[in-house]
Amino acid sequence: MSAALIFGILIALMLTGMPISIALGLTVLTFMVTMTEVPIESVGLKLFTGLDNFSIMAIPFFILAGTFLTRGGVARRMIAFTSSLVGHWPGGLGLAGVAASALFAAVSGSSVATVVAIGSIILPAMVEQGYPKRFGAGVVTTSGALGILLPPSVILVLFGVSTNTSIGALFMAGVVPGLLLAILMIGLTLAIAWRRGYPRMKRATWRERWHAFRESVWGLLLIVIVLGGIYGGIFTPTEAAAVAAVYAFVITVLVYRDLRLRDVPKVLLSAANTSSMLLYIITNAVLFSFLMTNEHIPQSMAAWIVAQHFDVWTFLIVVNIVLLMAGNVMEPTSILLIMAPILFPIATSLGVDPIHFGILMAVNMEVGLCHPPVGLNLYVASGIARMGISELTVAVWPWLLVMLAFLVFITYVPLISVWLPHHLGM
Amino acid sequence: MPFRVLDRLEEILITTMIGGATLIIFLAVVQRYAAGFRLLYPVVSLIDLSWAQELCIFMFIWMAKFGAAYGVRTGIHVGVDVLVKRLEPGRRKVVVLFGLLCGVLFTGVIGTMGARFVYGLMGTDQTTPDLEWPSWIIYLCIPLGSYLMCFRFLQVAYHFWRTGDVPHHDPGHVDDVQELDGKQAIAAIETARAP
Repeated sequence: MSAALIFGILIALMLTGMPISIALGLTVLTFMVTMTEVPIESVGLKLFTGLDNFSIMAIPFFILAGTFLTRGGVARRMIAFTSSLVGHWPGGLGLAGVAASALFAAVSGSSVATVVAIGSIILPAMVEQGYPKRFGAGVVTTSGALGILLPPSVILVLFGVSTNTSIGALFMAGVVPGLLLAILMIGLTLAIAWRRGYPRMKRATWRERWHAFRESVWGLLLIVIVLGGIYGGIFTPTEAAAVAAVYAFVITVLVYRDLRLRDVPKVLLSAANTSSMLLYIITNAVLFSFLMTNEHIPQSMAAWIVAQHFDVWTFLIVVNIVLLMAGNVMEPTSILLIMAPILFPIATSLGVDPIHFGILMAVNMEVGLCHPPVGLNLYVASGIARMGISELTVAVWPWLLVMLAFLVFITYVPLISVWLPHHLGM
Repeated sequence: MPFRVLDRLEEILITTMIGGATLIIFLAVVQRYAAGFRLLYPVVSLIDLSWAQELCIFMFIWMAKFGAAYGVRTGIHVGVDVLVKRLEPGRRKVVVLFGLLCGVLFTGVIGTMGARFVYGLMGTDQTTPDLEWPSWIIYLCIPLGSYLMCFRFLQVAYHFWRTGDVPHHDPGHVDDVQELDGKQAIAAIETARAP
């Protein structure tokens, strides 16, 4: 009963287009004032204590690192490196774009940053070489989504924080599925390019490859620092994120000199803007899940589902459908923060591995980023490509289908997600 | 003019907070590892950075509260606009205005709750665990940040009522990332490849 009421208020408020964070907070206030005896002062305190967690602070740090890297020439050097390796295959630039997106995703925590960084270079270059714009835009939009699966990933940090799952283990778990998806996308891109006879680049000599590698090695090292540092127990994910932010500053300002020192405050401000928005959603989502727990909603839903003798696979199908539907109206952070605290207890009571569930949610979010009406990657790519959303929607469908097939695969083969972290003893 | 000063202060505060927090955690990590070397240990171990985590969290919470207010001004707080976009302009204006006023209401209520909470704390000598700073000063960011956010929502609502425009944040637009045409893009890739 109270669940229906809470969700009723939330959905009604959200449909007015107000910020999701405000809708969440206002739902909690309304419900608490009218229906419960919980002292309202505890809400004010929660707004502070909700963020009082060092793990959450990985988010602003990773965003800062990503903001530096997006503005520096790291993406350009990564594209040069990948194109020296695969550029001479059919559709070479497209393949280089997917591979460079995967590399950039492994240093930045967000999909949008990946689309901006790689897309703004690879797309005009592809059009210049005679590729249809649609093809380029499809490649860029979907391969940018690798950003939330390959570590570091803001979405995985959020999942870890809201379900008390190890962020380090989640990061490791993202590696194999991320690489697998990158390979699938490269395969599809290659197949399409082969059939349609898209241009190749001149084969690079080994000397050129070595040079391109040397140029991009500073960016590539960041992958080693973050993953190696966390896995090697040198630092916690949050510390790794802070080190990544400082390192990103050093390479873009001091090593590559793509950014002037006086532009740094602008970068800080822009990263602070994005991070604060996310942290504000987090505080209000914490309030919301406090209300949910207070009303015993996740527990009673879990009990109900267990009593129905739902098997795990049916449950996971339902989860996928719910998340994909939510992906039609909301952006990933909000979906994750609202849904994870509700779905996670049910999933674990049915025996789903927490890490597998996290990866499953991340892949769902990835799909949601690439399709209308709210897929953020789509909007960003449409800005870069100067294409309408409906045209772009048609352009992405081959890759989107592959992603959906991949989602089914991830759902039913937990081993892909849990193998690496379990193998590493996490 | 006083508004411009407020805008600048807000920007300076959140920029300092994110930059400072990053530096502090970075230095704490460096210090911990420097202490691992026998040669450096006598020097490094004198510096106690056990408070770094706490300070970092506080700085980020302050950044988040004031940054959220800044975000209202830049239009970065996104909502579900699928339905609103389909409404006819007259109704749309009413709904959007309602949403903005809900923002005013929520942040106003939270600000007041926070203010009462801080007022209650001021009478006690409660301090933070590591830094041992008075708690009420740290918690001050809730009323201050929320009231500022409330003011920003009012500003945006007023502007919307007058002109029909709301601030809009374009995630695809990044300053300093110059737009390349095809030839420049190819050249950018080629130069990074050519030894």
